[in-house]
Amino acid sequence: MSILSLIYKEIIHRKFNFLLGLLAVVTAVALFVSFATTGQAYRRETRRIMRNMGQNLRIIPKETPIDKFWSVGFSEHTMPEEYVHRFAELRGFSYTHLTATLQKRVMWRGMNIILTGILPEVLPLDKRHQSPMTFSVEPGTVYVGFELARSLEIKKDNVIDIFDKPFTVVKCLSETGSSDDIRIYGHLHDIQGILNLPGRINEIKALECLCLIEATKTKFDPRILAQKELAQILPEAKVLLLQGIAEIRQKQRAAMEGYLALILPLTVVVCGVWIGVLVMMNVRDRQQEIGIMRAIGYGSGNITFLFLGKAVIAGLLGAMLGFLIGTALALDLGPEIFKVTAKAIRPQYALLVWSIIVAPVFAAVSSFIPAMIAVTYDPAVTLREE
Amino acid sequence: MVVLENVVRIYRTRRGDVKALDDISFQIKKGEFAVLCGPSGSGKTTLLMTVAGMLHPTNGVVSVGQNNLYAMSARARAKFRAENIGFVFQMFHLIPYLNIIENVTLAGGTAVDKNKKAQANELIQHFGLAGRNYHRPAELSAGEKQRVAISRALLNRPKIVLADEPTGNLDPDNAATVLGYLSEFHHKGGTVIFATHGKEAEQLADHIIYLRNGRIENHT
Repeated sequence: MSILSLIYKEIIHRKFNFLLGLLAVVTAVALFVSFATTGQAYRRETRRIMRNMGQNLRIIPKETPIDKFWSVGFSEHTMPEEYVHRFAELRGFSYTHLTATLQKRVMWRGMNIILTGILPEVLPLDKRHQSPMTFSVEPGTVYVGFELARSLEIKKDNVIDIFDKPFTVVKCLSETGSSDDIRIYGHLHDIQGILNLPGRINEIKALECLCLIEATKTKFDPRILAQKELAQILPEAKVLLLQGIAEIRQKQRAAMEGYLALILPLTVVVCGVWIGVLVMMNVRDRQQEIGIMRAIGYGSGNITFLFLGKAVIAGLLGAMLGFLIGTALALDLGPEIFKVTAKAIRPQYALLVWSIIVAPVFAAVSSFIPAMIAVTYDPAVTLREE
Repeated sequence: MVVLENVVRIYRTRRGDVKALDDISFQIKKGEFAVLCGPSGSGKTTLLMTVAGMLHPTNGVVSVGQNNLYAMSARARAKFRAENIGFVFQMFHLIPYLNIIENVTLAGGTAVDKNKKAQANELIQHFGLAGRNYHRPAELSAGEKQRVAISRALLNRPKIVLADEPTGNLDPDNAATVLGYLSEFHHKGGTVIFATHGKEAEQLADHIIYLRNGRIENHT
């Protein structure tokens, strides 16, 4: 009689024990698969939320006095517009979503306004697939801040003159409670023309994803690292990293990774112990069976194979069922949780392959100690018991 | 054929050492029927397990044929046991999830062997269990279970059968039947060592060894 046949018959005989073991493997695999399947959406969603907090890196002309910069809200000096393209052409840097702006406080229709020229977002060469996080304004059109639109009764589709140049209002912005309410946004080149500052900008905003910090694991100030990098390529600029946003971003990322790093190993350990206990119970139930098999000449290898083989079968079945259940859970519940990035939730068939490889090994490892205990049972003792 | 020289077996327990076998020496020749007698706890089962190569003596030598059992590796001993020794127990020790034919062929090892299956069928028929091949142990009477256990013990055509109180759970008729089968094996040249605390096998015995407290009290 083959060992596989023995394993099969024992599984059928002690269905409940086998089903409980199978349930442990299914639970571990299903949790792992559902986390991994929704993980992509989870990471995207987190990135999107973090991104919506705004850009955290500001590059301004080198000669800008910092006290003046913070009191005015922008630099009164300028630097070449070409910097943004030079910056974007670099490879291997973690900055993205580069936005070049030119801002100047002017009097218009009796109001103190901030005229803001904005260039459509420039993405680095290796990040061209990213969708822009800031709006852009077409040439010949403007966006009008809430307070200006309200006070001057400006409406969408109005044509307004700004220093003798006509512009169509394509959007009146909603109230922000910030200086944005007294801004008029136009295309950078239009505003450069109005202010007679062709080819000049006074700020590049960017998003620093802090990959740099994580990759190097240094304790250095990230702003200093960023300044070091940028000083070589943008000699007329200096860098301000908005630490608050950066730290929140980093903490959020660490919290997310920490959460997964806790949940998954914990699940695996609990399920492993669960399987181990069940196999131990099975070994105890089968003491006399093991004894008789030893008595009729079955060696340690065969006895070990009886238990580990059963564990491997539970692992294989558990991997397939766990993958199906985990994927179904992810597809069903994932889009409810991650509404913005729901499309990223798709079955990941590579996980099935991984599960089929890893789950039997996991089940066998969990069963190893009980199997060794079974091997060391003294048949002289077990066969004597009545 | 079976030779024990100064065999001692001590069980180490929390309450101290227990000497289950104390300086046991005897010799049983090929084809003899030996009966081990003695009350419960006298060391009969320990002695059978030691002869079977399943219980390492604390001291002494156990030889079967020309083989010093405990000088062999565990694997070689297991192989030797499978090929040369058959076991019959008081509690039958059949595997509950295997049917009769599977319980018997289990002794044939893990290789699929049609000859073993045919042989198992012959034994099952011979022991009056024809037509019960696919019954589970739970569906059999005690006497039938013991006949399955004897079939299993004889499948590999062993040279020795070790029987540990095989009639202890049987009514007199079934006990007589089992004794008859063991006697038949003995008459065909097999060696039997039969442990019991009764007197039912004494008329078949070439040797009677009385054990008490792990020592041989009498050997006739």
